[in-house]
Order: sequence, then C-alpha cells, then structure tokens
Amino acid sequence: MADPDFEMSLVKMFADAPTLRDSEDFARRVEARLDRGWQMRQALIWTLGLAGGAIGVTQMFTSRMLVQVGAVSEESTRMLDEGISNISNLQGSLNALPLGGEVVWMAAALGVMALAFAITRAVEEF
Amino acid sequence: MNASKTAGLHDVELAALAAAGDRAAFGELVRRHGSSVRGLLRRMGADPSLADDLAQDAFLAAFERIAEFRGEGTFAAWVRRIAARLYIRRWRREGLMDQALDDQEETSGGEAIAASRIDLDGALKILAPAERMCVSLCYGAGLSHAEAAEALNAPLGTVKSHVKRGLDKLRHKLAPAGGSSDGRREHG
Repeated sequence: MADPDFEMSLVKMFADAPTLRDSEDFARRVEARLDRGWQMRQALIWTLGLAGGAIGVTQMFTSRMLVQVGAVSEESTRMLDEGISNISNLQGSLNALPLGGEVVWMAAALGVMALAFAITRAVEEF
Repeated sequence: MNASKTAGLHDVELAALAAAGDRAAFGELVRRHGSSVRGLLRRMGADPSLADDLAQDAFLAAFERIAEFRGEGTFAAWVRRIAARLYIRRWRREGLMDQALDDQEETSGGEAIAASRIDLDGALKILAPAERMCVSLCYGAGLSHAEAAEALNAPLGTVKSHVKRGLDKLRHKLAPAGGSSDGRREHG
C-alpha cells in the first residue's frame, strides 16, 4: 500500500546526501576536464582553419586564379570606359532633341514606374 | 567570473552564466551538487571510483546541455537524472541489467541493521540489486515508474514490483527500533 509520508521522507533522504570530504578535488577535476575539452576544441578549430587556408591558397595558385583575375580586371576597366563614353554620347544626343531635359527625366521616371508595376504583377501571378 | 562572486548566486543564475560559457559558474554548481550526484550513484550500487567517473561524465554532459535546463526543477535533480541514466547505460553495456532484474536475492541476507544509527546507505544495502536500482531511480533520480521502465528497458510491472518490494524492506529497516514498521517516521 502506498505510504506518501514514507515516500516523501525517502526522497528527502536521497536529496540530503552528505558532503563528501573530497568534494573540492572532485570539482577541480571536472573543471580541468572542461578546460581540456575547451582547449582541444580551440586547437581543432585552429588546425582546421589553417588547413582550410592552406588548401585555398594552394588552389588559387594551381588554378592560375591571379592571372585570370588580372585579365578580368582589365576587361572590366575597358567595358567601364566604353559605358562612360556611351553615356556621354547619349547626353549629347539628348541635348540635340527639341525637348526639354525635364521631359526626358519624366519619361525615365514613368519607365521605372511601369517596370515596377510589371514586376509587381509578375510576382502576384507566380 | 571569480569564485567569490559566483558563491552568492542562485543555481538558476549560475546555470544561465554557464550557458553563456562561464566555466567558473559551472564549477560552482559542481562544488554545490557534486556530492549529491556521487552519493546517488553510490546508493544505486556503483563503487566509489565508478561513481566519481560517472558523476564527472554527468556534469560534463550537463555542461554541454546546460541550455536545456530551464530551472523548472532543481539543478541537482536534473544532473542526478543524467547521472542515473549514464549508470544504467553502463549496466546495460556490461550485461548486468538482465541478470540484476531477474535476481531476487538480497545482498546481505536481510538481517536487522543496528538500531542505534540506521541510515539510508545502510538500509539500501539489504535490497536486491534490481530493487535498489529501481528505488534509487524513482526516489533518488526522480524518474517516474514509466521513465524508469523505459530507461531500464524492462516491463513497467516489473519495475513497479521491484519498487514495491524495495519500499517494503526499507520501511521495515528504517522504522525505529522497537517501534511500528508502518514507515510513519520523520526523517530529518
């Protein structure tokens, strides 16, 4: 038959464990293991980071990435120059038109609004 | 954070600091509750050296999972549950579980304990290993009968009967000398 009083006193007796004499040593051993685990984790992160970095650098050199980056950079510079030149030409053409600058800007704004509207519709439909 | 600052904090505050990576705060929790966890493992039947090893493992596991501790129960009870499960796992790995659950022999013949100073540690020694394990799990680690059955991979009825037999024996042995054995004794 269940005896709640006895069961409660049993729980209390289990909870009231006497303090062991070497409890401080025990705590120090747990802390040492925690520190050791933490140091190992840090060492592992460093090792993996270094290994990853070394692999990345090796890949960069073996794939001639620097040469390719240089080539791409030159090509970009050339395209940028061309773009600026085209814009200058466009500005000259606009100035030649029999319209005011305001009209051109309004047309551009309307174009942007139309594009935004089209995108909104497309998003709603899909 | 240094030891003097952690000493005045509540367990829940220390656990929150530990969850943020403060190992000194966790060390204070170990200082406070190490004996309780080691004591439970010894009462479950582990020898002192195994109890210490498992208690260390339990605290390390608790540190890894400290974010799961919400302060709903006590920190000590939470770690005791972890430790008890580790001990059960050890038992099962060493194949002692089935043998113990079938074994109904009392470990010290059931003779009366000296009436002058009867304590729980002494009383537990008269229980069969399975009774001792089930009683410790339910009253020391705070597992329900169902949780204990699941942890032990044993039928619920088996666990209940071990607990009942163990309680009956403890009630008898912990009763005051010459007094009734109905267990209605205050254990301060």
